[in-house]
Amino acid sequence: MFLPRVVKRQEPLQWGSFFIFAAALVVSLGVSCALLAVHGKPPLKALAVLWSGGFGGPFALEDTLLKSIPIFLCSLGVAVSFRMQVWNIGAEGQFALGAVGATWAVLAFPGLPMWAMMPVMFLCAAVAGGLWAAVPAVLRLRFGMNEIISTLMFNYIGILFLQFLVYGAWKDPASFGFPMTPIFPKAAIIGPISPATLGRVHWGLAVCAGVAVLLAVFLKRTRLGFELLAGGENPRAARYARMPYNLLVLLVMSLCGALAGFAGCIETSATVNRLQPSIMVGYGYTAIVVAWLSRLRVSSIACFAFLLAGLRVGVEHLQLDLQVPAAFGGILEGMILLSVLAGQFFDRYRFTLKGRS
Amino acid sequence: MRKSVSAMLLVAAMLLMAALTGCGEDKKPAEAPKAEQKPAAAAPAATPAPAKEMQVGFVYVSPVGDVGWSWAHDQARKALAEMPGVTTSFVESVPEGADAERVIQNMARKGYDIIFTTSFGYMDPTLKVAEQFPNTTFMHCSGYKTAPNMSNYFGRMYQARYLTGMVAGSMTKSNILGYVAAFPIPEVIRGINAYTMGVRAVNPKAEVRVVWTKTWYDPATEKEAAKSLLDVGADVIAQHQDSPGPQEAAQERGVYSVGYNSDMSHFAPKSLLTSAVWNWTPFYKSVVEKVRKGEWKSGAFWPGMETGIVGIAPYGDMVPQDVRSKVDARKAEIVAGTYKVFSGPVKDQNGAVRVPDGQVLSDQDMLGMTWFVEGVVGSTQ
Amino acid sequence: MDMDTALLLSILAATVQSGTPILYATLGEMFTERSGVLNLGVEGMMIVGAFTAFLATHLTGNPWAGVLAAGLCGGGLSLLHGVVCLVFQGNQVVSGLALTILGLGLADFLGTPYVGITTTGFQAFAVPVLADIPVLGTIFFRHDALVYLSYLLPPLFWLFMARTRAGLALRAAGEHPAAASAAGLSPVRIRWCGIFTGGFLAGLGGAYLSLAYTHLWTNNMTSGRGWIAVALVIFAFWRPGRAVFGAYLFGGVMALQLRLQAMGANLPSSLMLMLPYALTVLVLLASSARGGGRAAPAALGVNIEPEE
Repeated sequence: MFLPRVVKRQEPLQWGSFFIFAAALVVSLGVSCALLAVHGKPPLKALAVLWSGGFGGPFALEDTLLKSIPIFLCSLGVAVSFRMQVWNIGAEGQFALGAVGATWAVLAFPGLPMWAMMPVMFLCAAVAGGLWAAVPAVLRLRFGMNEIISTLMFNYIGILFLQFLVYGAWKDPASFGFPMTPIFPKAAIIGPISPATLGRVHWGLAVCAGVAVLLAVFLKRTRLGFELLAGGENPRAARYARMPYNLLVLLVMSLCGALAGFAGCIETSATVNRLQPSIMVGYGYTAIVVAWLSRLRVSSIACFAFLLAGLRVGVEHLQLDLQVPAAFGGILEGMILLSVLAGQFFDRYRFTLKGRS
Repeated sequence: MRKSVSAMLLVAAMLLMAALTGCGEDKKPAEAPKAEQKPAAAAPAATPAPAKEMQVGFVYVSPVGDVGWSWAHDQARKALAEMPGVTTSFVESVPEGADAERVIQNMARKGYDIIFTTSFGYMDPTLKVAEQFPNTTFMHCSGYKTAPNMSNYFGRMYQARYLTGMVAGSMTKSNILGYVAAFPIPEVIRGINAYTMGVRAVNPKAEVRVVWTKTWYDPATEKEAAKSLLDVGADVIAQHQDSPGPQEAAQERGVYSVGYNSDMSHFAPKSLLTSAVWNWTPFYKSVVEKVRKGEWKSGAFWPGMETGIVGIAPYGDMVPQDVRSKVDARKAEIVAGTYKVFSGPVKDQNGAVRVPDGQVLSDQDMLGMTWFVEGVVGSTQ
Repeated sequence: MDMDTALLLSILAATVQSGTPILYATLGEMFTERSGVLNLGVEGMMIVGAFTAFLATHLTGNPWAGVLAAGLCGGGLSLLHGVVCLVFQGNQVVSGLALTILGLGLADFLGTPYVGITTTGFQAFAVPVLADIPVLGTIFFRHDALVYLSYLLPPLFWLFMARTRAGLALRAAGEHPAAASAAGLSPVRIRWCGIFTGGFLAGLGGAYLSLAYTHLWTNNMTSGRGWIAVALVIFAFWRPGRAVFGAYLFGGVMALQLRLQAMGANLPSSLMLMLPYALTVLVLLASSARGGGRAAPAALGVNIEPEE
């Protein structure tokens, strides 16, 4: 009897990751379109709107690029920690704390000129976000506490903490009692790079580029970076590394928190110009999807962050033009991730027809 | 290496396609409004021209089916869609912040003539987009900023709340009333205050207890909040929430309730006394007509009960006639303008006098209300 | 009975109600994890269960149809996790997360038209005789059918695990799948059952929210209860007894923070809302410090490689 058998590959599939992602995308879009059709929406038109809304033209690209900045930063951090099998899903909370840290800097040092304000803001955001990630790391190292749950709980607590601050001590007296901090002074607002050519794209993009380059260099060229890359794949090898495993974990979590903190800082400063509860839109969770898709290649992270940002932006157009519920984006993201997970199987195994012995 | 190269190829391919498809596409919507303005300006001079085509967009902060805040706006939108020459569209559940700005901008780019943004948090995004699209009319609900082409508007819901408070105060036996409230922002606090003043106008010994749920729409939490108020002895439950969760709790325990946003009687027919309701249709229609004729001037609008923008739903069967008469009489006074809800003396929770005898609280102070009146038990945070 | 005792009893009764959905979900996930699979998609399965229960009840008028639908759909969603992990050897952690994102999105997408409707659902009724027991009667026996059903689950779970061959097989699949395989069992097939049952029970937990706790539906109505359930499995050392304690503890905290407000406590509500989540952290800390992690099934989270 001939049955398909599963055989491990000798070496990974050529161009495997590309095909896997493309196949996953096709499967996800297919299922999602079927859902739309069941709901009475024209699936092909929906695809067209999704495309043009996210990528079709300079405005769409600008929107997508803007949206990809915070996603990119969060994903970098998450990817680094996932690589070490440290399941940090607390990017949301770390994002919130980063925003809080940046706001604290603005409120504490109101008179600083921009060249001083910006570094201070970013520093405070990184410290706040990093600490918020370091605590679950310590809990894991010292008490063996599962970091999945602790980082997740810290998400909820972090967001509530942000709410607590803007409803209370940090509320703008001129805001008619609404929960928001005063508008940031000009020195604390990240401005557009070049309004004429790039529209609203702001210097946060430069921050992303800088961070990306630094991280790539760190990972490929320093010994510590190499240990990080190797540590997750093989914890036993990590033991021979110079840095103790525990410290690596702590470092990685804090780095993730700091990067998410940067994202929070940028979002608060450039996009909203003040701290308010509505800066939380779920970048932390999208970052998980991006991180998994790209597996710690910095350039991959950039591409997938851009793609998923485009997806989100496209979905908004779907809402406006076709009245498709906003949740469609979540369905797509979830399906893509599941399909990619399934597809990655083919990286390591293949089917053959072999007779049963 | 392969993965990143393949991913980059994919993105490059997409960018190339984007460049090919996108060229020239986005120019048109920006030009359309300008082209349309000219016939509108010319119209008044000529004999009645055919009604100008109007595209009206709505941005909602929650799902329209919630039978609550967004639902009420959407009812008005549907009424607008029936006007000749008016097409409408909406986007729901738009988070306040960067996403809102993008959604509003897309609407403006697509050439919408009027855009209604129906949540406080949309204020700054609306202003930013208004600055970029001077020919589009922006209407922001429940905010305080304006621009030459952006107005803010709201309704004097507190008047309706006062009346519902009178009904509730007449029906309570335990003299403890519960209020399930979403977020401690001025409009909610103002509503609670007006309600309490209505309650105490007919029942000076009653108190109103407030529980904050920190959500606009979560039936489970809201119902539990209502239950906790019932547990401390409340026998009338009111709400500033979008879901009928608190109504369910009240009906299950066999006590009374007051609804919000719309007539919630079909959720709790045995317990609902009345509801404080919105009716945005007349106001929205007048905005569309005025913009269409070119007569619209931006500003801050806060119409009251006399325009029909707020009101109270029909009384439940259990409300006796004498209560109805009293409340109707007061309602007529409010509509006529002879009775002002926040007229002194008004004291706050700590006993300090906020509005002296003979004075009336100003609109400014009402809009920024962050303190509770005497008779309210609860924190303002 | 004076006011304070009555208030205390009502808080305890509210605790039971509030803890019930968490109990269903915790026991479900515990079942799955005992078979060796980590399924973090509990939140997604619960919300899908909440929606399908609501929809089925709305269409048929019968809440039990809703319950069945919720179980089947929650289980069905979890089968996706099974496909990805058991067939395609996908990473269990990430697959569970994807399931949560997908589940929340699906329920929201399909459920948007049903927000703002109400159904009959389950109503509370007093159990004859038992409801009249002083104190305990008020706390435990004046609820609805799904709560009473949840009372049966923990003892059934224990019985199954400790006293049946099937339970032994399940534990084997979770502790040492190679040995189970050598003994003639199919650990993969057992894990499929574990996953489906976990999804079924999580769906039931969701159904409770939309059919009994309230008679309404809204997206995201689970509000993180699924995640608390995942944490509680660890807190309970993978045993049903402690799961009951944990679920009611959480239900209690969720109910308590609202009652504190109603009683006039002048604390900022944001801080009070943090209580359930902060408590989860503390509780998990305590159990991890006491070696909670070591009580996990040995093969938890490790996929079984396909045979060559």
